[in-house]
Amino acid sequence: MTPRLRLTLLGAALAALLPGTAAVIGRLPEFGATIATYGERINAIVPKERHVANMVSAINFDLRGLDTLGEEFMLLAAITGTVVLLRGRRGEDMTDRAMRLPGRAILPRSEAVVLTCRLAGPLLMLFGLYIVVHATVTPGGGFQGGVILASGTLLAYLGEGYSGWRDVVRSHWLDAMEGGGALLFALCGLAPMLVGAAFMQNVLPFGTFRDLYSGGLMLIENLGVALAVCGGFTQLFLEFLEETREADGPDEPGEDTA
Amino acid sequence: MSVILPLLFLLTAASGTAVVLIRDPARQIFAIAGNGIVLAILFTALQAPDVALSEIAVGAAAVPLLFLVALMAVRAGKVEQASDEGREP
Repeated sequence: MTPRLRLTLLGAALAALLPGTAAVIGRLPEFGATIATYGERINAIVPKERHVANMVSAINFDLRGLDTLGEEFMLLAAITGTVVLLRGRRGEDMTDRAMRLPGRAILPRSEAVVLTCRLAGPLLMLFGLYIVVHATVTPGGGFQGGVILASGTLLAYLGEGYSGWRDVVRSHWLDAMEGGGALLFALCGLAPMLVGAAFMQNVLPFGTFRDLYSGGLMLIENLGVALAVCGGFTQLFLEFLEETREADGPDEPGEDTA
Repeated sequence: MSVILPLLFLLTAASGTAVVLIRDPARQIFAIAGNGIVLAILFTALQAPDVALSEIAVGAAAVPLLFLVALMAVRAGKVEQASDEGREP
C-alpha cells in the first residue's frame, strides 16, 4: 500500500467519521456536570439493598457481576497466551530454582536499595492486603489489591536478586492461584443456583453497612479476583524474567533470533 | 481546586508528549511511568479513587516493569547477534 493511498483512505475515513464524532462530542454533558442518572440510581440502590459503601465494587461484583466474570476469563486467557508464547521451547519444563544465561553479568546492588526493598516490601504487601479486604468499604478491591501484591513480590526481586526472588515465588502456586481464583469466581456464580436462586444472585447475608463484612457474596468474588490477579501478574513477571535467563540459550545460536 | 485541575491537565499533556518525543526506549519507560503517576493524581483530583488506584498499580508500576524486563531480555540477546542485525527503515 503506497503512502498516497493510505492518506486517501485516512481522508475518506475522517470525512465519514468526523461529523458524527463532532455531533456526539457537542452533545456530551459539560465537564464537571452533575452525576448522570445511572450513577444517581446506583447511589440510591446499593447502600440500601446491598449494604455496600464502595459503589464501584458493588457494580463490578454484584450489579454487573457477569461482566466481571467475562473479564476474569479474559485475563486468564491473556496470561495463558503470554506464558505459552514466552515459554516457547522450554515447554512444560520448569524449575523451582533460578536459571541464568551464561555470561550474563550480575549487577551489584547498593545497600540502600536492599534496605529500602526490605522495608518497603512487607509494607506494600500489607497495603495490598488492606486494599483487597476493604473492597466493599473503601476505594480499591481485588484487582487493584492483587496488582499491588504482585508488585510487592517484585520488590523482593529488586532487593534480593533473581535467585532470592525465585526462592519465595513458586511457579506451581501461581498457576493454582490464577486458575483457582477464576474458578472461585465462577463457582460464586453457580453456587446460588444450588439453592434455587439465579446465577450469581447474592444469597449470603449482607452484613453491616460500612463494616468489613458487608456485601455477602461480593467478598468471596473479590477474593477470587484478588487471587487470580495476584497469581496471574506474578506469573507474567516470572515468565518475562525467566526468559532473560534461559539456561539452554547459547547452545543453539540462531534459534533465539525470532 | 480551580487551579489544580488545569495544572494537572497541562502536566498530563506535557508528560504524554514526553512519552512520544523521547526516543530512547529505556528512558521512554520512565516517561510512561511518570505519565501514569500524573494520570493517577488527575483521577484522584477528579474524585475517581478507584480508577486512580488501578492506574497507579497498572500504569505506573506493572506496565513499566514489564517493559523494562522485556527490554532487558532484548539487550541480553543482542550481545550474540549484534553483527548480523540489519537495520530496516
